[in-house]
Amino acid sequence: MTGLPRTFRLAMIVTGILLVWAPVKIVWEQRIAREQDLLRYHGVAMTRHLRDELGQGLTIGVLSGMRSVVADLVWLDVTNAWMNQEWFKMGGYINLCTALQPRSVTFWDIGGWQLAWNASVAAAEDPTQPYELRRLKASRFWIDKGLDIYTRGIENNPESWRLWADTGLLYYQRLALEELRRGQPQAAAEHFHDAAHYYEQAVLRPNCPTYLERFAAYMYDDAKDDQAAYQAWRSLWEKLTPEQRLMKIHFPDRIESRIRALEQKLSIPKEKRVFPN
Amino acid sequence: MISSLLRIIAIGRNTFTEAIRSKVLSVLLIFALVLVGCSVLVSQLATPGLDPAGLIDEQIKFVKDFGCGAIGLFGAAIGILATAQLIPQELHNRTIYTILSKPVRRSEFLLGKFFGIVLLLTLCVTLMTLAFAAALYWQEQQGVAYADSIYGQTKNWQADQGLLEHYNHDVAEIHAQVRDPRLVEAILLLFTKLIMTCGIALLISTFASSSIFTIVTTLMIYLIGHMEGTARTFWLSHGAETNLWQSCLVGFISLFIPDLNAFTIVDEILAGNNVPWHHTFDLIGYAVVYLVVLLSVAIVVFDYREI
Repeated sequence: MTGLPRTFRLAMIVTGILLVWAPVKIVWEQRIAREQDLLRYHGVAMTRHLRDELGQGLTIGVLSGMRSVVADLVWLDVTNAWMNQEWFKMGGYINLCTALQPRSVTFWDIGGWQLAWNASVAAAEDPTQPYELRRLKASRFWIDKGLDIYTRGIENNPESWRLWADTGLLYYQRLALEELRRGQPQAAAEHFHDAAHYYEQAVLRPNCPTYLERFAAYMYDDAKDDQAAYQAWRSLWEKLTPEQRLMKIHFPDRIESRIRALEQKLSIPKEKRVFPN
Repeated sequence: MISSLLRIIAIGRNTFTEAIRSKVLSVLLIFALVLVGCSVLVSQLATPGLDPAGLIDEQIKFVKDFGCGAIGLFGAAIGILATAQLIPQELHNRTIYTILSKPVRRSEFLLGKFFGIVLLLTLCVTLMTLAFAAALYWQEQQGVAYADSIYGQTKNWQADQGLLEHYNHDVAEIHAQVRDPRLVEAILLLFTKLIMTCGIALLISTFASSSIFTIVTTLMIYLIGHMEGTARTFWLSHGAETNLWQSCLVGFISLFIPDLNAFTIVDEILAGNNVPWHHTFDLIGYAVVYLVVLLSVAIVVFDYREI
């Protein structure tokens, strides 16, 4: 080594260090990437389409590791588009935000609300459209878009109670009640069932508010599915501790009255009743 | 060994003192503090008309994203600028000759300089984190006050058990988001990434002829580092299918550029997702080993440099 030129020696040492490190680096990084994939982190990869959608400035932001800030800036455009009633533009921005940060529940939560409620109601009340059927069709189009946002949100964040509850609310308010209003009780019952399913799923998720536990039972009541409603109310009653029943926490009176009414209606034998008297 | 360590600490302390006296860095730090504080203004642009839970959720997300974004951006700017000036400034002022003529090894000089930068970044990140915490606290108070005002619109709402249950859950969610202990994890990862960036800048400055070259090259590596993951995946899966030049380029990036995109996991923490601590420590361990390699190469290059 001592006989070699100075720069050559330097190059040899540096190359030696880097060659030892490089394979370790690759293996380590691959392991971190695999773990992050398993934990389902990071949004979609930067593609040409995404770059075109974002524009040059925001793309540089994403490439500088400021993905969340860029997503927030795009989100401000969602609000602007909503204010200007530019629904298709708003839908595009919502898709962009959720693509940038698929693990941010806020974007799915509010994005679905914007489409299934705001855009859909605006379409249903569109004064420029004289035909009611077309208004209804347009309204349903935006409800489906909102439902799609929630469904994809749940795929990306299955542990979020909020998105399950949002979907339940969408089935209840935007679909079941609409069908009832149109005099379609059969179709409404199906949607009430769907809503109950999503509320039941929400309750299984961590940090879910306790009041949501009753919602599934209400949905079965509205669907006129007495058997399912009875089971739901009964399981709620069984979950209550003696203190909660005594202190009237989580509406034990309401639960009791529903169980009594359903036991009567379903003619449950006295020995199998929660309240035989 | 101990005397060597003392020399490194002395040089580090001196570097730190010089850096905090620098007007450019002080101005940058003031801007950073203002920007972190201003994240509460951005939060006011959140979607109007939402229920308290949705609105406050969005506002807190804005404060967290913009606050941590400012810490990352200004931390990187301060770190890169300060590191890029280290050696050229010493050469320009000719103070390096005085220092190296004393019984101070070049490696000690370099490590001392890096230690000073670490101290500087620790101070800056601490100050910015305090401003961030203050912004979050303010947002929390605003959130609770907003929830109070919305629920207060219903007469005697506290007697309504259902509303009370709803209110308690909303307020608990606000507290949980603001006082999230995982934010410490996020700041720690941001700090690690900044130190790693400074390590790259230090290595470049050992052979660079000017500060500008160091700054520009570090910024390029910083940007490429966020795409290293894509390059690595491409190289490992399609390396053989591409032409030689493409393969060499992507291979070079994969082998030698650090994967800075792995640190964007901070976004997941800010979005409220749980990142296990062992994963965070894995990333910090990766950064530390990378830093050791960077500093080793920097020491070798600096040792061979003719001053």
